[in-house]
Amino acid sequence: MSDSSAPLPVVSVRKLERSFPLANGEKLMVLKGLDLQIYEAEMVAIVGLSGVGKSTLLHCLGLLDTPSGGEITYRSGEKTWKTSQLDEDARCQLRNHFIGFVFQFFHLLPDLNVLENVLLPSQVSMTSKAWNKNRDEFHGRAESLIQRVGLSGREKQAPGTLSGGERQRVAIARALMLSPPLLLCDEPTGNLDSRTSKSIHELLRELHEDYSTSILVVTHDPDLAARADRRLQMVDGRFEAESTS
Amino acid sequence: MKYHDDLTRRYLKRRWAPWASTLAVTLGVFSLLTVLAVMEGFKVEMRERIRGTLSHLVIEADPFRGLVGEDSLLEAIRTTEGVEAAAPHVTTLALYKVGIMDHCVLRGIDPIPESKVSDLARYILSDEEIDLMLSDRFSMLPPDREPSTAEEIAHVFSIERRRQIMGSRLNEDPGPGFTRESPPQAIIVGIEALRSFRLQMGDVVQISSYSPVTLEPCSGNFLVVGAFQSGVYEQDLRWAYTNIRALQNTLQLWDDSAEDMRISGISIKLDDFQKADEISETLRNKIRSRMSLPEDDPKSIPSRLTNIETWEDKRANLIKAVEIEKRIISVLMLLIVAFASGMIFLILMLLVIEKERDLGVLRALGATRSGIVLLVLKQGMFLCTTGAILGLLSGWIFLENINEFHDFVFRMTGLQLFPPNVYYLERIPVVLRYQDVLLVCLPTLIFGFLGSVLPSMRAGRQDPIKALHHE
Repeated sequence: MSDSSAPLPVVSVRKLERSFPLANGEKLMVLKGLDLQIYEAEMVAIVGLSGVGKSTLLHCLGLLDTPSGGEITYRSGEKTWKTSQLDEDARCQLRNHFIGFVFQFFHLLPDLNVLENVLLPSQVSMTSKAWNKNRDEFHGRAESLIQRVGLSGREKQAPGTLSGGERQRVAIARALMLSPPLLLCDEPTGNLDSRTSKSIHELLRELHEDYSTSILVVTHDPDLAARADRRLQMVDGRFEAESTS
Repeated sequence: MKYHDDLTRRYLKRRWAPWASTLAVTLGVFSLLTVLAVMEGFKVEMRERIRGTLSHLVIEADPFRGLVGEDSLLEAIRTTEGVEAAAPHVTTLALYKVGIMDHCVLRGIDPIPESKVSDLARYILSDEEIDLMLSDRFSMLPPDREPSTAEEIAHVFSIERRRQIMGSRLNEDPGPGFTRESPPQAIIVGIEALRSFRLQMGDVVQISSYSPVTLEPCSGNFLVVGAFQSGVYEQDLRWAYTNIRALQNTLQLWDDSAEDMRISGISIKLDDFQKADEISETLRNKIRSRMSLPEDDPKSIPSRLTNIETWEDKRANLIKAVEIEKRIISVLMLLIVAFASGMIFLILMLLVIEKERDLGVLRALGATRSGIVLLVLKQGMFLCTTGAILGLLSGWIFLENINEFHDFVFRMTGLQLFPPNVYYLERIPVVLRYQDVLLVCLPTLIFGFLGSVLPSMRAGRQDPIKALHHE
C-alpha cells in the first residue's frame, strides 16, 4: 500500500541518454543513463562544470530536445505523460502548460511591453476568440504576477528600458503565467551582478514557497544552489553526488 | 492563435521596410488594373466603332465576278428571320487626284438603306460640324449626338446639294462636261482627308480604278459634298462613300451574262448581333438553295461564289492585335507584382533572421512549428493583401477620374498623355471588368504566397535550442 501523504514526483527521468553524432561518424554521449525524480513543491539545483550536460538535460526535460534513450514521465494529479508517447503537438501543449522556462539571457520579446511579455504563454495556445473571452482573467493574473515580482506600475514599459534584474523578474513572471507544475531555470543569475543575483535567489525561493511550484535550477552560483532543497552534482553526463539542506 | 495577431501588429508597426513591399504591391496592382481597364476600354470602343461602320453581317462575292440579282438577293435576305435591314454596296480600291494623288476605299451605297445597316446616320456630318471639325483638329462628335434623319442623308447625295456646292465654287471650272446645273456625282469623304488637306469641300475629284468586268482602267469625276467621322482613324482618312448607281456606271459593272449590274456585296443589320453566326448559317443555306433553282424560277438568284462574314471576322486581325497587346502588357505589368513579391520574400527572410531568438522563445513557450510557419506566412499575406486592396482602391479611384487627371496634367504641364490624333479617342476609354479584377488579384495573392512561403518554412524549421543560443 502506498503512503497517500508522501510527495509524488512531478517528473521522473529513467536511464536518460542523449548523444550527438560527430563528424568522424562516432557519437558523443552527453547524458549517460541519468535517473532523476523531482517531487511536488521541491526545488532542486544541478551544479557542475561547463560541458557536463546540464543544459542538455534541461532541454530534454523542457521538451525542446528529444532524448536518444530512456524516458521522461510528467505527472499532474492523476494524469501522466511519457515522452515516448507524445507527438509534436502534444509536446508543444505540455511545454506550454506544464513547464515554465527562465533563461540566463532573459529572452524577453523586445517588441512587446512587460505586460504583453508576461501574457505571451497564455496567447500561444489559444485562438484570439478564446483568449478574448478570458481576457480579464489573464490580465488579472499577469498584473498580480508583475506586482509579485516587484514591478508594479512598469507594465507598459519596453523590456529594453529595464535593468538586467528587472528583466529576469519579468521572465520569471512570464514563466509562472499559466501556473506550470515545473519551472526550469537555466543559470538564471549567470548574467547578473552579485547583488541583483541575491534578490533573484530570494524571489525564486519566495515564489517557490508561495506557489508550491517544483523548480529545477541549473547554476554555477553556490548561493543559489544552497537555497535548493536538494543539490545534485553532475559529472560527465551522470549525477555523482547528492546533498540536501 | 492570439499571439499571431499581436506579434504581426507589433512587428509591422515598428518597421517601415515591410511597408515598402506593400507599396510595391500597391503600385503593381494599380498599374495592372489601370492598364487592363484602359486596354479593355480601348478594345470595346474600337469594336463599337468597327461594328458601326461595318454592319453585323456582310455577304461578299468573288471581287472579279461580283454578285448579280440584287433584287432577289435583297428579298431573300430581308425575309430571313432575325434580319432587320439589308443594303447593297459596291466597294473598290481607287486612286483619286485633285492637287495630289492618293488612294482610297470607295464604297458605292444606297444612302437610306445603308443608314439602316450601318451607323452612317451617326457619323455623317452637317456643314456646321464640318466647319467645327476643321477649326479644331482634335474635336470629336459627342457620343450622344442625334443621328441624322433619312431625309438629311438623302439630301447630302441629292442633286440640289450638288448644285449648291457647285455654286459655292464661284467661277472655278467645274471640270469637263459639268456645269452648275449638271454637277458630278456626290462623294462623301472621311473628315481626316479634309483635315489633312488632301481634299476640300467642293473639290471635283477624278477617281480612277479598274473595272472588274472589262479589266480596263476606268475613271469618273465626283464632287466632295460632305464628310463623316466614324472614329476609326484609318477609315476617316481612307474611306469615301458615293452613290452605288454612279459607281456601278463608273466601274462599268454591267454583267452581260446575267443582264444585271454587279454589286460587291450586301451589308446586313440583325435584330441581335449576338446571333450573327447562327443567322449567317441560315442565310448561307438559303442563298445556296436559291442559286440552285432553275433560271426561270422567279425566286432564283444567279449563281456566284459568296462568302458571309460577321463584322468581327472582317476585322479579326485588328481586334486580335489589341487583345494580344493587352495580354503582353498584362504580363509585363505582372512583373511589377512579381518584383513586389520578391521584396516580400527578402523582407520576411530578414525578419526571420532578425527574430530568430524570438521565434525560439515562442517555441519554448509552447508554439508549434506550424504556428511559427503561420505567423510568418500571415505577415507576408497581410502585406500582400493590404497592397492588393490599396492598389485596387487607388486604381478604381484613378480610373473613375482618369480623364480629369489627364486634363489636370495637360493644364499644368501642357503634356498630352493620350493624344487624340494618335489614338483617335477624345477621352481615355475605361472598362473595368470583374474578370480583369480577378486577373489582377489572383496572381498578386499567388505571388505574395510564393514570396512568403519560403521564409515561413525556414522559420518553422529552426531548431529552438540553437535559436535560444543565438545572440
